Amino acid sequence: MAMINTEILVIGGGPAGLCAAAEAAEHGAKVLLVDDKDVLGGQLIKQTHRFFGSRQQYAGVRGIDIAKILIENAREFGVELTTGATATAIYGDGVVAAATDDGFLKVRPEKIIAATGAYENMLAFPNSDLPGVYGAGAVQTLMNVNGVAPGNRVLMIGAGNIGLIVAYQLLQAGIGVAAVIEITDRVGGYYVHANKIRRLGVPILLRHTVKYAWGGEGVEGAAIARVDERYRPIPGTERDLAVDTICLSVGLTPLTELLWNAGCGMKYIAQLGGHVAWHDENMRTSREDIYVAGDASGIEEASSAMIEGKVAGLNAAYALKRDIGLSKKNYEGCLEDYREQLCQLRRGPFGEKARRGKSALMGAPIPADRPIKSTPVPDEEFQKGARVVIECEQNIPCDPCEATCPHGAITVGEDMVNYPLLDAGKCNACGICVASCPGLALFVLNRDYSQTETEIILPYEFIPVPNKGDRVDACDREGNVVCRARVSRAVKSKKFDRTALVSLVVEDRYADVVRSFRISGIVPETGRIEKPDMSRVDEMDTIICVCEDVTRRRIEEAIDRDGAQSMDEIKRLLRCGMGPCQGKTCQRLIMQILAKKLNRNIEEFKPQTYRGPMKPVSLGLLAKADDEEEN
Amino acid sequence: MKKKTDVVIIGGGVIGTSIAYSLAKNGVTDVVLVERDTLSCGATGRCAGGIRQQWSEPSNVRLARASIEIFKNFREEMGRDIGLVEGGYLLCAHAEEEAERFRETVAMQRKVGADVRIVTPEEMRDIAPCLNTDGMILGAYCPDDCHADPFQVTQGYAENARRLGVDIELHTEVTEIRKKGKRVAAVVTNGGKIECNWVVNAAGGHSAEVGAMAGVDLPTKSYRHQIAVTEPIRRIQEPLIVDFYVNIYFCQTAHGSFMMGYGDEAEKPGHNVRGTWQFLEEISRRLTGLVPALKDISVVRQWAGLYNMSPDAQPILGRVSDEVENFICAVGFSGHGFMLAPITGVLMAELITYGETRTLPIDELSIKRFEGGVKSAEANVV
Repeated sequence: MAMINTEILVIGGGPAGLCAAAEAAEHGAKVLLVDDKDVLGGQLIKQTHRFFGSRQQYAGVRGIDIAKILIENAREFGVELTTGATATAIYGDGVVAAATDDGFLKVRPEKIIAATGAYENMLAFPNSDLPGVYGAGAVQTLMNVNGVAPGNRVLMIGAGNIGLIVAYQLLQAGIGVAAVIEITDRVGGYYVHANKIRRLGVPILLRHTVKYAWGGEGVEGAAIARVDERYRPIPGTERDLAVDTICLSVGLTPLTELLWNAGCGMKYIAQLGGHVAWHDENMRTSREDIYVAGDASGIEEASSAMIEGKVAGLNAAYALKRDIGLSKKNYEGCLEDYREQLCQLRRGPFGEKARRGKSALMGAPIPADRPIKSTPVPDEEFQKGARVVIECEQNIPCDPCEATCPHGAITVGEDMVNYPLLDAGKCNACGICVASCPGLALFVLNRDYSQTETEIILPYEFIPVPNKGDRVDACDREGNVVCRARVSRAVKSKKFDRTALVSLVVEDRYADVVRSFRISGIVPETGRIEKPDMSRVDEMDTIICVCEDVTRRRIEEAIDRDGAQSMDEIKRLLRCGMGPCQGKTCQRLIMQILAKKLNRNIEEFKPQTYRGPMKPVSLGLLAKADDEEEN
Repeated sequence: MKKKTDVVIIGGGVIGTSIAYSLAKNGVTDVVLVERDTLSCGATGRCAGGIRQQWSEPSNVRLARASIEIFKNFREEMGRDIGLVEGGYLLCAHAEEEAERFRETVAMQRKVGADVRIVTPEEMRDIAPCLNTDGMILGAYCPDDCHADPFQVTQGYAENARRLGVDIELHTEVTEIRKKGKRVAAVVTNGGKIECNWVVNAAGGHSAEVGAMAGVDLPTKSYRHQIAVTEPIRRIQEPLIVDFYVNIYFCQTAHGSFMMGYGDEAEKPGHNVRGTWQFLEEISRRLTGLVPALKDISVVRQWAGLYNMSPDAQPILGRVSDEVENFICAVGFSGHGFMLAPITGVLMAELITYGETRTLPIDELSIKRFEGGVKSAEANVV
């Protein structure tokens, strides 16, 4: 295929890439965006939950719908969007190659914005190579993009936001979740996400790990165990779970192959998820023609990815040789606005990782977090009447409750990491905020429903939605059934965007207890667990490199016997990383083994030398490429 | 790291480790091998691993034949599987002129003892059923030729050298070579100074730079050679195939992947080892032209390495200057260093241990042959 000339090439059509492309094009640049998938939107197209953040980042809107908005924006500003095109290398002459189903594209851009996203970390344990062990992202793709159930009963590993959200989405799809296990002593994700699945009866087991899986054709079960303070399984605490799917949600690593390939300066920053390209506040890397944005520049939320994209797009456009009519004043105004938005999003306890990570990367002092003013106000006076109850426990950057309340009863304030404050006098218990809260953490209580009963309005994102007059099992915050309850009302409004408001009537004593309900069939029952003899399972037989079938034993031997001390040496000896995945699965695991065996820090190890093409390209496709110039 | 030793070898590729092992085997165990990065990180780890006897210069044929014997016994002697594929080498001739040259070189090679024969296009298709022989007049086939995994060979030499007492210092870069009169006295590295009786230059792509440190102007220049590899598939090709007319070589490795490359005459000397998109497209055109069945097979990686070229495309072995008596070179392998490494190790070790080579004479490969210009250059380089 012919050579394409463009001013700005954006690699990746997720939130960061789409925003970068739209921003640059809005200011007059000629922009081409390539994405490896057939549908633009990156991870957004799997995200059926409402987003946090503020209006500027489409808070309260579901990820799938944000994708549509961002694609529309980019299109409107004239970005040329090419799907199904995987960037395979950035060559020394500045040419970026991309493989499509029927061609090998070559693009010669003036500026490149790498918004390549991230890939999922893997966890290796005996039989982790069985079919049925998935990354959480793969499970989301199967369910939410392709409409395929990954299994019937799932063990989720990792209680970060992705693990919690995917567990919830599995339940929404009618798939059982046996447990969410987390090796540390705390839920890493938002508590509101954890509460959503807890009240549906899914246990979140802290200080637990998976010991091994078993099965023939696929996963049939998993053994989990409690761990001690050094994360080692405690003997005697082992427990078997009958599951056919194990879903790994143990973190993300920035996808930086192309940036390594292009020779950008790289740095390992633990808080950002691994190696990232060094970049300045304008998202420019050590190469002046390459910018970076989104997860590729450090793992964060999609909201910050969008703003980083805008910063990269703005700067790349402003740095073009051609005068595109972007005035210095306009440039500086936009930049200041975006920086302030980023600063807002990185406030509070959940922004700390990004604040520390970006500072470490740029060698700048960590910006002091502005003090968070509000704290939750106890509800001691609320014994009569009707109003909203706010069960938002953390300083999450988020404000749709304030934005949607028609009566001005909820205040978050300028700093969106503040807790929402309720002016009870202004609240008329309409429930609009209940339907808009991305954390499903608001409820309306009407204590005066009758002499002895309270009506509770709950947000409900399952089908079928019960009808008025139905009787359901009302559950507490842990998902235990506490009483039967009558459905007094069920509102399915278009403006609530698929969140129904279901009103339950319960005895007054359950008013502060009931926070969910169960129609039936959400949590399948388990039978007796049949398990083969696993007494001889050996951790050393765990497959680490799946492409080339390399076990932990062979990697440890390469280190002990052959003296390998780097990823490249292990690659040469054992072929780890030479397969089609180019080390995405095994590299982090191998660096962990190296670090442990050699008693060094993981950041001392460099990934293998990345070599294009980053994705296999057929000889036939390459052979038919031609080298004409096209403008 | 040792401060004093008998022999310092510069370079942790297959040449350096082979010399280290052979020295130790001869009882010269007070040896330090210094490598600026990791084992086989240079040309060794970037080559396709071909091992052939089909050269146009008799000296190359002799060296290659001696090497093949060692490769075939490698597993037994070293205890390491080197992924040896004994599938032969098939060279393809398109033009009558080229065919005539093949006939002559095959006659010479047979005289030296190689089991080489001229084959018809029909026989070529028997040997390599997927090969498109359109336009080919004949082939030269040597079933004894083979290919192997350069990483495993280097690792095998290194671990056996270590076992016999050689010190291998990785991440150790030579910054200076200190002389005293007409002798090298010490090698200075970023890890300290090592006094020594002998220095061996096995620096591959950087041989001229190391030579300059010892005050010797070596006539070697490095050129980028690119290469690519596909995903593994079931075995469909035994021999390594070379086509000088199309300008390509390719083989199917023990692992099942196809590896292929060609020499670009437009390359300028230097140390650039970045791959290009032009190469990727061109190699794909050439390969799918010769093996159309591969069109749906995917390339998974491309890379490049350096051919350290000598003026006649044959190695320069032994002493290189009367001004530095104890400076030994094994350089300028011109793209066939891997296959000559085993015998080179033996010969260089003999030179140091006994003051002369015993297995084969190396006078023809002395740097002195260039006095008065290049007389006869190796033609079979791809």
